[in-house]
Amino acid sequence: MVRKRYEIHVWGTVLFLDLGSSKLGEAAIDAAVEGVKKFVYGVDEDFSTYKDGSFVSRLRRGEIAIEQCPADVQEVWHLCAAARDLTGGAFDPWAVAGGFDPSGYVKGWAADRVALSLVEAGCENVQVNAAGDLTLRGGVVEKGVAGPWKIGVVNPDNRQEVLRIFEIHDGAIATSGTYERGAHIFDPHSGTIAIGAKSATVLGPDGGLTDALATALMVAGEDGAGWFGRPELAEYSAWVIDRHSGGAWGVGSAIS
Amino acid sequence: MKRAILIATGTVGGLGAVLAITPPTFTSTESSSMALPGSSAAPVATPSAASSVAAAPTTPAKSGSTTKPTTVKPAATAGAQTQAPVVAAPATKAVSGTFTGDSVDVRYGFVQVKITVENGKITDAQAVTAPSGRNDRWTQMSVPVLRQRTLAAQSANISGVSGASFTSYGWYTSLASALAKAGM
Repeated sequence: MVRKRYEIHVWGTVLFLDLGSSKLGEAAIDAAVEGVKKFVYGVDEDFSTYKDGSFVSRLRRGEIAIEQCPADVQEVWHLCAAARDLTGGAFDPWAVAGGFDPSGYVKGWAADRVALSLVEAGCENVQVNAAGDLTLRGGVVEKGVAGPWKIGVVNPDNRQEVLRIFEIHDGAIATSGTYERGAHIFDPHSGTIAIGAKSATVLGPDGGLTDALATALMVAGEDGAGWFGRPELAEYSAWVIDRHSGGAWGVGSAIS
Repeated sequence: MKRAILIATGTVGGLGAVLAITPPTFTSTESSSMALPGSSAAPVATPSAASSVAAAPTTPAKSGSTTKPTTVKPAATAGAQTQAPVVAAPATKAVSGTFTGDSVDVRYGFVQVKITVENGKITDAQAVTAPSGRNDRWTQMSVPVLRQRTLAAQSANISGVSGASFTSYGWYTSLASALAKAGM
């Protein structure tokens, strides 16, 4: 049983991999991760709004039409449209000044792709963590015992503190929140500011959609609970820390 | 498919957590409806034995219908400590007024924050621009974050961590510029 962890610096953040395999040796896992690196750097080249030459940047400038973009870009475009409809426009990559920005979808979508490629390469236990948006496959073997991945949702006010643990065998979990990136700015009395929620965690089968839904819940707050009554989101759950009370609300089968 | 809804509220409830959908306004001066900490007006949640689970209708709701969470009051947060937040450097002189931060392009839209300062303390902050066109209010209060659900972060217990998306980055950036304008 081989277990290895990797960090890939990409997308302006860190992509963390935790991989286990009973079949592959270390060299084979390393080789699979090299393939992952090529893919994630390619995603950056195609989708980054910070790279003038990316397809997304060219779309934003009106230089090309979506029909002229590669299949992956077209796929994300259509998936973003579906997420926009599911969230009643709370997630809307087209509502951004400057044009189409799929950044709120791509990380989760890419994490799913990375996990798929690693499973196909022979890794049975896969955690892909794209700065808090995770895709998990096959559970994890800890000290010889197989079980689910145990993913902690951390307190936005104190990253050392885990508020809740979700056990996931196969699926995705994404959290958006008033988490720091660089320096926190605190009001002396209250801490951070959010829009509709303090922190929103979404679990479900698709990484791109969990990513988009978590972001959208930050905007919509409790109004977003209704989305999860839709048949398309029957397999999705949300756990949201309210901004005002510090309490939480949840919806879906993973919340109990 | 059976669906469950769980709500656990902290020690302060009934404060209108559901957002009002109002068009963005740049001149809003309405006072907050939220009680400040220590205010006798702050309603206190009625403690009940424990959080409970309410089963939603077993038929999936039709698209467009609203699955409204119902509030369940958990036991009072025994031993809740108020976390001491990192305090921003105090203003050298007592500033008052409203200050609007820069408009920041975040990954799902634009965010612009306006703060109201009274005698060097932030008394209100709101989005004058938010991605969905919402205008939401926030006011100062201590936030008891679910102490009864809090677990010590022990690496032995977890194999991964979720919770570092940068949704709020624009808030920090815009808020920072508003604070700078306020000289805070």
